Amino acid sequence: MSSKFKDDVSPLPAVPGTNTMIELVNVHKSFGHLDVLQGINLTVTKGEVVVVIGPSGSGKSTMLRCINGLEPIQKGKVIIEGEDLHGPRTDPNKIRQRIGMVFQSFNLFPHKNALQNVMMAPMKVQRKSRAEAERIARDLLDQVGLADKAQALPEELSGGQQQRVAIARALAMKPDMMLFDEVTSALDPELVAEVLGVMQSLAESGMTMVVVTHEMGFAREVGSRLIFMDGGVVVEEGDPREMIASPKEPRTQKFLSMVL
Amino acid sequence: MNAFFNGEIFKDSLWLLVQQLPIVIEVLVLGLICAWTWGLILSLIRLSRFRPLRYLAGAYIDVFRGLPLLLLFIFIYYGLPHAGIKLNELTSGVLGLTLCYGAYSAEIFRAGIQAIPKGQTEAARSLGMTGGQAMRYVILPQAVKLVVPPLTNEFIAMIKDTALMSVISVPELLFTAKEKMGVVANSTPLTVAALIYLAFTIPLIRIAAMMENRRRKSKPGGKPPSGITPEAEKKLFDSDIAGQVPKGGEGW
Ligand SMILES: Nc1ncnc2c1ncn2[C@@H]1O[C@H](COP(=O)(O)OP(=O)(O)O)[C@@H](O)[C@H]1O
Ligand SMILES: [Mg+2]
Repeated sequence: MSSKFKDDVSPLPAVPGTNTMIELVNVHKSFGHLDVLQGINLTVTKGEVVVVIGPSGSGKSTMLRCINGLEPIQKGKVIIEGEDLHGPRTDPNKIRQRIGMVFQSFNLFPHKNALQNVMMAPMKVQRKSRAEAERIARDLLDQVGLADKAQALPEELSGGQQQRVAIARALAMKPDMMLFDEVTSALDPELVAEVLGVMQSLAESGMTMVVVTHEMGFAREVGSRLIFMDGGVVVEEGDPREMIASPKEPRTQKFLSMVL
Repeated sequence: MNAFFNGEIFKDSLWLLVQQLPIVIEVLVLGLICAWTWGLILSLIRLSRFRPLRYLAGAYIDVFRGLPLLLLFIFIYYGLPHAGIKLNELTSGVLGLTLCYGAYSAEIFRAGIQAIPKGQTEAARSLGMTGGQAMRYVILPQAVKLVVPPLTNEFIAMIKDTALMSVISVPELLFTAKEKMGVVANSTPLTVAALIYLAFTIPLIRIAAMMENRRRKSKPGGKPPSGITPEAEKKLFDSDIAGQVPKGGEGW
């Protein structure tokens, strides 16, 4: 249980009312004999933008998927806003409503247009009326700069546009935090900026974010903390600018020298 | 030639057989609705996260895909009465179609559901949907589109298999034609029955072929926009969908 980054909050475990949003305690995850996460400890406080970097296969995606319970874990605890995700009385579906997630491959619903993609969860999960859901959806599409694409099917949109719809779709549930898994990695270079721009303004609005990315510029400009993962553990974490300028661990140095 | 095509008998038989069409259509429509519903339920059980149920559904599907439909009809109509269960001809026919074609449909639906990329379920679940909601609002609407061509082929097979019901005295086309054949001592009624079958099946065969063509043409780049992998799609459209045990622990 790492408390070194939250000296201003109450003792562990986090309880509602404090501003600890995500807490991973010694999380172990394996697929068969493959140990993918080998004791992850991570605390994310309200409004933080935690940027996660690391080589391919180091378990970054798996960690994100454990945070919202898409993957079961073998050991450890995942605590979301004071609630144990795997607690006996916890409904993970309820918790997931508070955690937005955006994927590398967009994963928009191809049989629905942009507006319907954004409206679906508020209507089906939160039982909002169609009018209310549509108001929320149009508002969000406007915020991500796609008000004029409401009726477009995903296949009619560019990658960057699809990803912005995906962000709007996640935001439609009014989540308390957002997880981003290499959301610009599948995009043509000229489309990366529009998506990062949306993420930056989201961060500036105070959203708590965990962002897996290779965009070191984003890490430096927007990140409030940088985490380097390798082999299923957190190797180093710290202030993004400091860490990028002078990484302490040899593995971090090696990785940064390759991506910068 | 006269033995197979006698003008007078042709007219007679045509009238006679057309009168039986409502029964054939009734059996078919009921059989189709029941078989597809049963198949969808079976496929969902087969993909569910309850292991015993999953195996049970798998066993059912294997057994009923492995049995001759003719045997099934005879068992239901002539066998079950020995156990005190007596069903009339039509009910027996619909039940036979449902049991057998339910198993085939289940495999088609399963392949269709599994052809939808995993990311779709994950996106739905990450929004807070339950497994059931993800299936209903995200996976099934996409899977249903994929299974229309194979289900059309299944429908064609089912039309032809109504002829098997002649052994349990359902007054369908073959049964009626055979009776008429005995009366007129001529094969023309059979010719008429054949033409009526073709009038139903050939348009469907053409439609199925058209859908197949459109599918081929619609993806010059090889990858359909929804991200369904070509392998998954091929598996789905292969005429015989081999029964595969779904991956363990991946239930919805
Ligand atoms: N569903 C899965 N089944 C088996 N192995 C998996 C699965 N998902 C991920 N892995 C393995 O876990 C390791 C970490 O994967 P991932 O978390 O995707 O890494 P990263 O996102 O850092 O590239 C990889 O070796 C990957 O092959
Ligand atoms: Mg990854």
